[in-house]
Amino acid sequence: MCDACGCDLKPEEHSHDSRVVEVHQSLLAANTAMAKKNRVHIEEMGAVAINMISSPGSGKTTLLEKTIEALGGSLRIGVIEGDIETDRDAERIRAKGVPVIQLTTGGACHLDAAQIHKGLHLLEKEEGGAQLDLLFIENVGNLVCPATFDLGEHHRLVLVSVPEGPDKPAKYPKAFHSSQVFIISKTDLLPYFDFPVEEAKAEALQLNPDLQVMALSATSGEGFEQWLDYLKEVCAH
Amino acid sequence: MHEMSLVQGLLGQLHELAKEHNKEKVISVSMEIGPFSGVVIDSFQFGFDILARDDALTREAILLIESPPALYRCCSCGMEMKAEQRPERCRHCSETLLSPVGGDDLVLRQVEME
Ligand SMILES: Nc1nc2c(ncn2[C@@H]2O[C@H](COP(=O)(O)OP(=O)(O)OP(=O)(O)O)[C@@H](O)[C@H]2O)c(=O)[nH]1
Ligand SMILES: [Mg+2]
Ligand SMILES: [Zn+2]
Repeated sequence: MCDACGCDLKPEEHSHDSRVVEVHQSLLAANTAMAKKNRVHIEEMGAVAINMISSPGSGKTTLLEKTIEALGGSLRIGVIEGDIETDRDAERIRAKGVPVIQLTTGGACHLDAAQIHKGLHLLEKEEGGAQLDLLFIENVGNLVCPATFDLGEHHRLVLVSVPEGPDKPAKYPKAFHSSQVFIISKTDLLPYFDFPVEEAKAEALQLNPDLQVMALSATSGEGFEQWLDYLKEVCAH
Repeated sequence: MHEMSLVQGLLGQLHELAKEHNKEKVISVSMEIGPFSGVVIDSFQFGFDILARDDALTREAILLIESPPALYRCCSCGMEMKAEQRPERCRHCSETLLSPVGGDDLVLRQVEME
């Protein structure tokens, strides 16, 4: 530490015509403040928001399609889709008859709270989009970057599909530290892949003992009851 | 590479600080990056090296990054332990369930300008 001004540089590294400003502010502060506003906004819409994080192709959109088929009659569901390009995922959700908007990040590997702020206003303009019970945010397919950004969600959900292998919690700890729910998807493929479910569960729980873990298949419907019960319970609060 | 967009945010903040304090050049930037922040320090440094060089305010700036050790709390006895790598078990009671504590932020600590 420099004795002259108390900054972190060695004395020979700088002159003292300069001035050290103490900032002590989070780089994420602006995002966190916007996320807080989003949370209030989402609650005013009547909804609980779930931020879904996974690698590309883990089955997020398929899980949403099946969930809407199962619960769309009893719960008002809305979706914000995040992708780098295209509105294909939004088209798939729209075909299920619920309000949806697509955010394209134009290259960015994650959604941030400012984009969700914009997304909420757009969603409100969609038919049935102003009052919701459940708002799903499908983040950009990426297990790393989205984990750093609070969007204003109430629950964060991390998905790993059976073909990806069971080592994801150990390799991408941040997504698991920061989530409340861990879903192992595509369990219909377990006979074809080496994916010890119990070991993967235990490893994830070691990283984050508070995680709620579920294993399911959107195609066979296995494990779906537990997932739907979880959603109903989340909405009842 | 969300580090790039975080560096962009940092540069924006440096411009505001320079304006506020009437300075033209950033000499050094000191940051603390938590072990659970989800930010790769090398990527952050790399992003800074690229983006800061493109900007008159920060062209010669030095980025100093400090990363405090990770802190874990035992879910059974509550003992807290610092560690570079996640310990297998609690050193006190051998419990394997350990929760990470804090360490998820990126803090701009101080900026030297002239
Ligand atoms: N066998 C099997 N395949 C599935 C299951 N769920 C999804 N898939 C398939 O996996 C592929 C990717 O599914 P998506 O739902 O588009 O995955 P996604 O996570 O939304 O993908 P991105 O938005 O691109 O990140 C598709 O071919 C789906 O049919 C499942 O439970 N079992
Ligand atoms: Mg998708
Ligand atoms: Zn212990």
